Amino acid sequence: MLSAIAARRRGSGLGFAMPAILLLLAFFVVPVAALLTRSVTEPEPGLQNYVTLLGNSTYARIFFNTFFVSAVVTLITVLIAFPVAWALAIMPRRWAGVIFAIILLSMWTNLLARTYAWMVLLQQTGLINRSLMALGLIDAPLQLTNNLVGVTIGMVYIMLPFMILPLMGVIKKIDPAILQAAALCGATKAQALWRVLVPLAAPGIASGALMVFVMSLGYYVTPSLLGGTANMMLAELIAQQVQSLLNWGMGGAAAFVLLVVTLGLYAVQLRFFEPGEGR
Amino acid sequence: MLLDFNKLGAWKWALSGICALMALFLLLPILFIVALSFGSSRWLIFPPPGWTLKWYEELFADPRWLGAALTSAKIGVIVMVLSVALGLLASLALVRGKFRGRAVLRAFFLTPMVLPVVIVAVALYAAFLRLGINGTLPGFVIAHLIVALPFAIITITGALETFDPAIEDAAILCGASPWEARLRVTLPGIRHGLFSAAIFSFLISWDEVVLAIFMASPSLQTLPVKVWTTLRQDLTPVIAAASTLLVALTVILMIAAALIRKGKSE
Repeated sequence: MLSAIAARRRGSGLGFAMPAILLLLAFFVVPVAALLTRSVTEPEPGLQNYVTLLGNSTYARIFFNTFFVSAVVTLITVLIAFPVAWALAIMPRRWAGVIFAIILLSMWTNLLARTYAWMVLLQQTGLINRSLMALGLIDAPLQLTNNLVGVTIGMVYIMLPFMILPLMGVIKKIDPAILQAAALCGATKAQALWRVLVPLAAPGIASGALMVFVMSLGYYVTPSLLGGTANMMLAELIAQQVQSLLNWGMGGAAAFVLLVVTLGLYAVQLRFFEPGEGR
Repeated sequence: MLLDFNKLGAWKWALSGICALMALFLLLPILFIVALSFGSSRWLIFPPPGWTLKWYEELFADPRWLGAALTSAKIGVIVMVLSVALGLLASLALVRGKFRGRAVLRAFFLTPMVLPVVIVAVALYAAFLRLGINGTLPGFVIAHLIVALPFAIITITGALETFDPAIEDAAILCGASPWEARLRVTLPGIRHGLFSAAIFSFLISWDEVVLAIFMASPSLQTLPVKVWTTLRQDLTPVIAAASTLLVALTVILMIAAALIRKGKSE
């Protein structure tokens, strides 16, 4: 009888996936492959684009900016997200619900609206500089936009939900009995935190951190609006080479570097952390 | 001990404090923009010296803003429909299919989500220039569909995985054809997943900036592109007004999503 059902629903196979597969092949795989190909064929066949990209100090600066900002953003995000995720996992439901709603609201508010808010808040005459001056903490306005400080603040703001939400899931799954056992065995709170809770949450922290780092590496909007042209990051370089300089070879080469790093880290994520855990 | 909120002692207050500060950090910029959109200062002084609706008047008086919003809505709706349709088919294959390599296929479907959008944008820009569809509606739709589809697939596979296939089998045993069973038993069973996928897909398209910057032409631009180009010239309060309307829409859609989730649990 069951085999009869199986026979009748034989149609539900690969065929159903075909429209999506074809769409992705035509408008994702082929275009990306074509772009990468141009990095070794334009302006003439060879690896000269990569030689320039990896050998020139201007580009070295861009790579440094990209990796440095992404690392700092990831670190700050983890430091804020861990206590918040921990609290959210164990808080009374009503309060957790309020904070959860704020996180979702921020996450789903238009990216440009959020970046605009930070551009206004951080500018020379903005609220933050005025408040700091009114409090007498500074004498002259700090330069907070058009540099990497602004980019870092804006990016932490955007990345926080992506770190908090998965981490909260991981902490919720930890059995409270393990921590009770630690307390019974005489561990102080600090010991229980460092030697039991943090190690148990470590896979979640690592997986979330990796995701934030990867997302930061390829971010375009916030760095270009808050960073200014003098502090370029990799995604802006790709856009600039293609859009303003029409240098498709160079743009393709930069895209290839970003792609390899991104997919490499994604593979690490899939290999070491259960897929779906980090999302 | 550490996982029991009431036994945390002084740590309870430290954790609550960090939570509250973080919530303010996330919330204040949004409220700030809403306040500024009603403020009378062109230089975005806060607190505003007075209150006004003139930025909203300016926003609605400029047909380009309205046009861009309509374009965004049109693209968003088309993307939503296609994304749910293709996502449903792909999810049926991933969850119910019996072929080899389903894990690989799932990873393949999610790659557009993992890859930096700027790479997809530049690659599609080149392809669309060659095909001559850059700056057209189909160009926008295809580009947004590529990034919306993974989210639809995640949401719908999630719903399908919790829907017991035995119910579909029962319908087939009772004489339904496999298609009838899918349409009249499985689809209603996973409708919450489909609604969520639709809302996600629409929001992704509606908010999408990077692809849109590359796809846009002077005659066809979405709302985020209009915000982007205006933002690069100056920080006018008109953007605060536009942003406030976008926040309002987000809140409405979030409430809709929450209601759907509530309906599901009941």
